[in-house]
Amino acid sequence: MLTRRDLLQKCVALGSVVIASQFSTEAMLAAFQDREKQVRKPTPQNTLGPFYKRLTPMNNMLRAPGDPGIPLTLAGQVFNTRGDIVPDATIEIWQTSHQGHYDLNGYRYRGKLKVDKSGAYTFESVIPGHYPDRVCQHTHYLVIAPGHKTLVTQLYFATDPVFEGDPVKNYARDPLIQTPELIRPVILTGEPNEVHAKVQFELCLERL
Amino acid sequence: MRLSVIALSLICCVPTAVSAQSARQEKTINLPGGVSVEVAAISRAGNLVAAICSDHVVRVWSARSGELMRTIKQDTGRPSGVQFSGDGRLLAVSYETVPYEEGTIKVIDVDSWKVQSDLTSECMFCTLSFSPDGQRLASAGNSDTYVWDVATQKKVATISPPFGGSAALSFSPDSRWVATADGDGFVRVYNAKTGALRGTPTEFLLEPFTVAFGPDGKSVLAGGADRVISIIDSQDGKISRAIPKQPGLVETLDISANGKLAAVVYGAGELFTAVNHIALWDLDKGAVLVDFQKPGITIMGGTFVDDHYVFAAGSGNQLTLWLIH
Repeated sequence: MLTRRDLLQKCVALGSVVIASQFSTEAMLAAFQDREKQVRKPTPQNTLGPFYKRLTPMNNMLRAPGDPGIPLTLAGQVFNTRGDIVPDATIEIWQTSHQGHYDLNGYRYRGKLKVDKSGAYTFESVIPGHYPDRVCQHTHYLVIAPGHKTLVTQLYFATDPVFEGDPVKNYARDPLIQTPELIRPVILTGEPNEVHAKVQFELCLERL
Repeated sequence: MRLSVIALSLICCVPTAVSAQSARQEKTINLPGGVSVEVAAISRAGNLVAAICSDHVVRVWSARSGELMRTIKQDTGRPSGVQFSGDGRLLAVSYETVPYEEGTIKVIDVDSWKVQSDLTSECMFCTLSFSPDGQRLASAGNSDTYVWDVATQKKVATISPPFGGSAALSFSPDSRWVATADGDGFVRVYNAKTGALRGTPTEFLLEPFTVAFGPDGKSVLAGGADRVISIIDSQDGKISRAIPKQPGLVETLDISANGKLAAVVYGAGELFTAVNHIALWDLDKGAVLVDFQKPGITIMGGTFVDDHYVFAAGSGNQLTLWLIH
């Protein structure tokens, strides 16, 4: 039975694949195979912003009872570009309160966790307010995992009035958003007087 | 003309907070209609001001006469940073060739206005700093920091903060060390020839935005979102003294040649849209000598000329030059 590698070698021999490179045939075929395994697109990077704070405690419950704002669950899984689960990733998030204030003195609305064996994570927060100096509501993400490029990005909310219901068309209204991929749909559940929002945000890391 | 400038200053001073010691508007430069200044730098001698303008053109003026000396247009991309060498003979301009990803730096001879060096890398740069001897240029942005040999156009050191890039750079007076203010919340000092880490303090929690080596080379001043000015021992990386409770985010700071004064520019907001507050500190006494705030202007760059601090500010299609002492 032909292996994938044998098949590629045969393609080279028959001229179906032409190696037009200064690198060896072996190296180019290995690179080709490696790239073929890339099944997921890496999550786009987005600016760190000036309010990252070191030593954020391990904590996934960012809201306290009675906090104003719409309760928000942020959930997802961490993969790499091959589609493998990344079970040893650490995710750190920070955002403003419902009123649009960053906590620079303490760690309100800042949290960190290690994903579980399935690469899954969940943070409990509130939908962030509009920070006066930014166009869009956003939550900052920092994802670190051994053997992977550190991901610094931001999550945006499709319900943000700035997008007028059409994030694909209007994403560039915030000059820091270079792609609508970072704008995620918001799922609302619960009773009308107790609305709860949930956002699914899968994270994909580049392998080193 | 002079009277009209004074009259304008008096009108403008109504909403302005300024202490008894003086801050005065020295020069007003008008830009073409619809064009504003985004970034500016003033030469150490205080005779030239260079600015990246909103039409992606770099303009250089005489700071004394306000005369436009040069208009620099490059097809390589959007200009992102500008800085003079210590002797004012070289002007470095960085360009984003691929937005947020790749950049190039043109080092221009100010006498001939010819590009002397062309430094290209897979990084976006917006922060530039020449070594005092003029031989090296450090560049930083959202990823790695590089130290370049200006003459050979080669990278002599690559510095990789874990994430978040570096917001500011400063060489030691002997050009041997370079300090960085990094996005991950650390100030670090490196060997400028090898990129080897010398030391880093761990007391910062929020991001430092600015660093400046003291004239003795033994201390580094840093400040940022912590709203603290920290004086760091450049050898062991420990904070020897801190001046807390600064009135805003410490966006930039500069130290006078005798090490006694610091000019501190404060910002507010995630995108620093309200950078209109500057204070002149007596570092020995830990006291403010001049406190100047003017709504409507954006302070962009400055330098000590003796015991005076000259800075550029933008407002609409005007660039104004100010002097505090």
